[in-house]
Amino acid sequence: MAVVTLSNDELHGELDNSSDNGSDNNFDNIPPRDAYDLKETVSDGRWRGLWRLMTGYRLTYLAAIVSLAFGTAARTASFLLVAYFVDTYLVADEKPFALPLLALAFVLLAAVQGGFTFLSGKLAASTSEGVTRRLRNYMLDQIQRLTFSYHDHMRTGELIQRATSDVDALRRFYAEQAIDTGRIVMLFTINFGALLYINWRLALISVVVIPLILIMSFFFFRKVSEVYERYQEQEAVLSSRLQENLSGVRVVKAFARQPYEEEKFEEANSEMYRRGRRMLMMHSLYWPVSDTLSGFQMLLGFTVGALMAINGTITVGEYLAYASMLIWIIWPIRNLGRLIVQMSTGLVSFGRVAAVISQDRENLDLPGFTPPDHLEGDVEFCNVDFAYDGTDAQVLQGVSFHARPGQRIALLGATGSGKTSLVNLLPRFYEYDGGTILLDGKPLTDYPRGYLRQQIGIVEQEPFLFSRSVRDNITFGVGRAVSQEEVEAAARAAAIHDVIVTKFPDGYNTLVGERGTTLSGGQKQRIAIARTLLKDPRILILDDSMSAVDMETEALIRRALEGLMAGRTTFIIAHRVQSLMSADQILVLQQGRIVQRGTHEELLAQPGMYQSIYAAQTRMESELEKELSHVRPL
Amino acid sequence: MSDHYDEFEEEEFTTQFNGRTVARIIGQLKPHWPYAVGFLVLIAFVSFLDSYFTFLSKQIIDEGIVAQDKQALVSIVTRYGSLIVIQALAVFGFIYLTGILGHKVRYDLRKAMFAKLQQLSLGYYNRTPIGWIISRVTSDADRVAELVTWGMLDVTWAVTNIATALYFMWIINAKLTVLVAVILPVIVVVALEFKKRIIIQYRNVRRINSKITGHYNETITGVRVIKGLRREEANLAEFSELSGEIYRAGYRAAWLSALFLPAVQLIAAFAVGSVIWYGGLQAQVGGISIGGIQAFISYITFMLWPIQEMARVYASMQQAVASGERIFSLLDSTPEVVDKPAAFDPGSMQADIEFDHVDFAYEEGKPVLENFNLLVKQGETIALVGPTGGGKSTIVNLICRFYEPTGGVIRIGDQDYTDFTQRAIQSRIGMVLQTPHLFSGTIRENLRYGRLDASDAEIEEAARMVGAHEFIMKLEKGYDEEVGEGGGLLSVGEKQLISLARAVLAQPDIFIMDEATSSVDTLTETLIQQGMETLMEGRTSFIIAHRLSTIRNADRILVIENGHITEMGTHRQLLALGGHYYRLYTQQFRKDAEDMEEIKPEVALAYGD
Repeated sequence: MAVVTLSNDELHGELDNSSDNGSDNNFDNIPPRDAYDLKETVSDGRWRGLWRLMTGYRLTYLAAIVSLAFGTAARTASFLLVAYFVDTYLVADEKPFALPLLALAFVLLAAVQGGFTFLSGKLAASTSEGVTRRLRNYMLDQIQRLTFSYHDHMRTGELIQRATSDVDALRRFYAEQAIDTGRIVMLFTINFGALLYINWRLALISVVVIPLILIMSFFFFRKVSEVYERYQEQEAVLSSRLQENLSGVRVVKAFARQPYEEEKFEEANSEMYRRGRRMLMMHSLYWPVSDTLSGFQMLLGFTVGALMAINGTITVGEYLAYASMLIWIIWPIRNLGRLIVQMSTGLVSFGRVAAVISQDRENLDLPGFTPPDHLEGDVEFCNVDFAYDGTDAQVLQGVSFHARPGQRIALLGATGSGKTSLVNLLPRFYEYDGGTILLDGKPLTDYPRGYLRQQIGIVEQEPFLFSRSVRDNITFGVGRAVSQEEVEAAARAAAIHDVIVTKFPDGYNTLVGERGTTLSGGQKQRIAIARTLLKDPRILILDDSMSAVDMETEALIRRALEGLMAGRTTFIIAHRVQSLMSADQILVLQQGRIVQRGTHEELLAQPGMYQSIYAAQTRMESELEKELSHVRPL
Repeated sequence: MSDHYDEFEEEEFTTQFNGRTVARIIGQLKPHWPYAVGFLVLIAFVSFLDSYFTFLSKQIIDEGIVAQDKQALVSIVTRYGSLIVIQALAVFGFIYLTGILGHKVRYDLRKAMFAKLQQLSLGYYNRTPIGWIISRVTSDADRVAELVTWGMLDVTWAVTNIATALYFMWIINAKLTVLVAVILPVIVVVALEFKKRIIIQYRNVRRINSKITGHYNETITGVRVIKGLRREEANLAEFSELSGEIYRAGYRAAWLSALFLPAVQLIAAFAVGSVIWYGGLQAQVGGISIGGIQAFISYITFMLWPIQEMARVYASMQQAVASGERIFSLLDSTPEVVDKPAAFDPGSMQADIEFDHVDFAYEEGKPVLENFNLLVKQGETIALVGPTGGGKSTIVNLICRFYEPTGGVIRIGDQDYTDFTQRAIQSRIGMVLQTPHLFSGTIRENLRYGRLDASDAEIEEAARMVGAHEFIMKLEKGYDEEVGEGGGLLSVGEKQLISLARAVLAQPDIFIMDEATSSVDTLTETLIQQGMETLMEGRTSFIIAHRLSTIRNADRILVIENGHITEMGTHRQLLALGGHYYRLYTQQFRKDAEDMEEIKPEVALAYGD
């Protein structure tokens, strides 16, 4: 995977976009530099990391900087051409070349300058965009292959920010900040070099305040970026206050709290105004001071230069060239501080991105594994212990049971008793710490994660659907072409076909989610069931599938689930006794241990947690029975 | 891939240019006009000085160097130096005035929008996504403020700069100025055309970028499903199409911008070349001085900046005007529920509530309630049951006057309730939602939302009454525990307990509750039941009921289907009726007790959502 090659591709790949026409989404024919494993770039030194990130694009970037130098040199040359013109044609009144030729030379120099500037921009863009594309793809792959432990500890917003704004900060580093810094350095070096050539004393006099401007600009921009950050923090406060007000609009109205809300918003709003004003004060002081400094530096140069020209130390033409160069030395320098500060935020972004990249991925494949012809679905837990990474709390302790192929195992217990953790071990979302889990008699760790996940179907408590069509959501995990008949058959079996056809605006092509149709909890669940039916797993995990549903829908889902469970080893997590009475084995969990096990009848017969839960939950029911016996249905 | 996402952002840019909107945007400056006048005068002055400095440089050459006159040099340099100081003061002035003005306009807009949002009816919120509103208050307000301050500043600077440069050029040499004046429009047109294309490219990049963010978001929030379904390769392949798209768009945008300056500069170079040519011919006959030639070269070279600025402002102006239109559309929205001029507060809502031939529709032509009649006695508890979409929530929304009937009358105590102020009604309603909304802050702050002047003791008292006190005390900081954004750190059951206590504090005359359907542990559920009973005592209550114990304890049960009351009565009466309620009720219990195979499919389908 980690191929670092500096092939011919370095130079040719850039300008040749024919391979990028987007139709190819297989990864066999991507250039080697795009297959470069970015994990190699992670480094203690952030500058080194940024350098490694450019692997495969370094020559292109170098070419961009060289073009920049040529462009700058052409500009300086045009100043010297004007000097030559004034001294030779105007002062000395000689005409070695025809006048139009000289004018043409000037235009040509401008063309050369423009050409190189453009080339440099284009090469830098191809570097920054190319490096960014590679980084984006890598980040996405990294995110979906990180372990669950990692995702548990990382907030979604944080991860998205690293993948988007931090990556974009790196793009700007290559596309703008590094190049702009290069441009300023180049402008300074080349023009200052030419000045030294004209008159070294004059050259030195022209840069006396530059160290001062540099220091000032660096400190100012560093400070202002802090102040700006505080301004942005306040903007975040303001929008989250707004967000809360809007999403709680019913509560606000129900309590008639509008004036109170306006008062709270006013606080955030005026604080934002104050922070904005503070930032503004800094700008309104820095720029005039820096303008004055630069202005007097220019004036000093003009004066000394003019005196030298009057005294004959330099020619009039040289003075003119000098005056032009001086502008290009002094004014851009004022922005150097800004660029340095911005680059330092780029470095911070690199650190944040690298922290994600450096994480170990979950291994999906196991070399040398040959999948069995048929997985029976015989699951045995032997003394399994489990604790989440970085915590001491034992979530599961000495859990043992045997689920034979096709059996239904129900898990009952309070929130936090370890039900979900237990089933999470099966697809190897997490790794157990002690004991063994056997699948068809072989340790679970002998099966690669990828294989296990293909064999296990999960219907979540609150199923996650992707914002794409209903059909895509149903076929989401199948990994092969699926005919419309198959999709519909699965949807029918999941008791959702009729709803899709009659209630959804575009039938199976209806978009789901934020920008599409909003589905009810029950509809989502049935689509998830159809998705799982189509996947045809050997082992099934049903996580409290009745919670988000009103009672009318429940029956539909039950029916669908019955079909799904047939012939598959099934693990059912439930809160209500009624939904697990038909299980072959009921495991009652309490603080990570199995405290009771057996069938419904067996458990009812013995005193314990099951009995008391059952008693509580059926009390009302027996009352109902009594009640119903009084009334005569028609 | 692209058709998986709605192209929502497109709408942002198709808005037509509208003179009235522009005028209204500029009108935002009105309350702060002295700032506006101040910065415009200052920037014009600064811009004039910029041109004048070039003219002074010319004088240094002609009157100092060429004339070999040190005396003249000193006097020019002195003038130059004092003007630098004066300009610096003016720069300070305009940055300060423009910036302050910008923040004032932002502040005003945000404040006005927020105040408007507090007035708008629930209908507006149902039509408008929250994200859309937030962008209006944040980024759109920024764009409009930016346009009327820094945008106007840049344009004023640019126009003054070009005008004064042309004036000084005219003084130096009229013929050459005509030449420049001919080339100038060419540069302007080219610059504008370029900017337009660049802007389109960057919009394209932004559009794809939001898709990319969406894809990341789905990958992270759906990572369990992706892993569980073993879909990593397919997901990456889909994403790499997107990242390829943004690569091409970003690359194109970048090289197009890289072409902008060189192209414009090249046109200007022809002008400079002509100056050299002409100057070489004229200098000997005294048509133009050496300093004059240098001044022309400078003026032409630096004229590119004002032109670039104008092109930039022009490009961002379209967007800012579109932003302005969206802001004004929000500010111009009229609430659907408005108090009558003579609306009053009767002081109490302890009265009978009557729906008299009420019609209602959220959208025209799709009636939700039709000819709905109901009389609720003061203190009665009404349980509303029936399928989703049948009209249960609508009835509740109408009682709260979040909406008003489209036909018929709702009376509270024999008076049309639109004769009362909204505040009179809403401040006397206690409401607990299915997924209760809490505000970020402590538990205490959230409880106090029910009555702002409640003392800590009263707050605790209310929490005790609904049985929330125990769980609150178990939290590390008790009443001062943060609940997180939207109450995210608490469970649904806990949130309901807190919102019950909040409703108790408000001492409402009418109590409304939408029971949670999601599983709440048995203990918490018992507490919620008790809390509800506390609240229902002596109050007219409407419960959208999912729990059977609630339904049974109600004074009256209403089965609402398709906007009508299909059955009404006490629990026993309805059971005896053997209709919908009977089926609903027995289905809920019997199916749990009996074998699932026995559920009759036709019953199930009748209640399908």
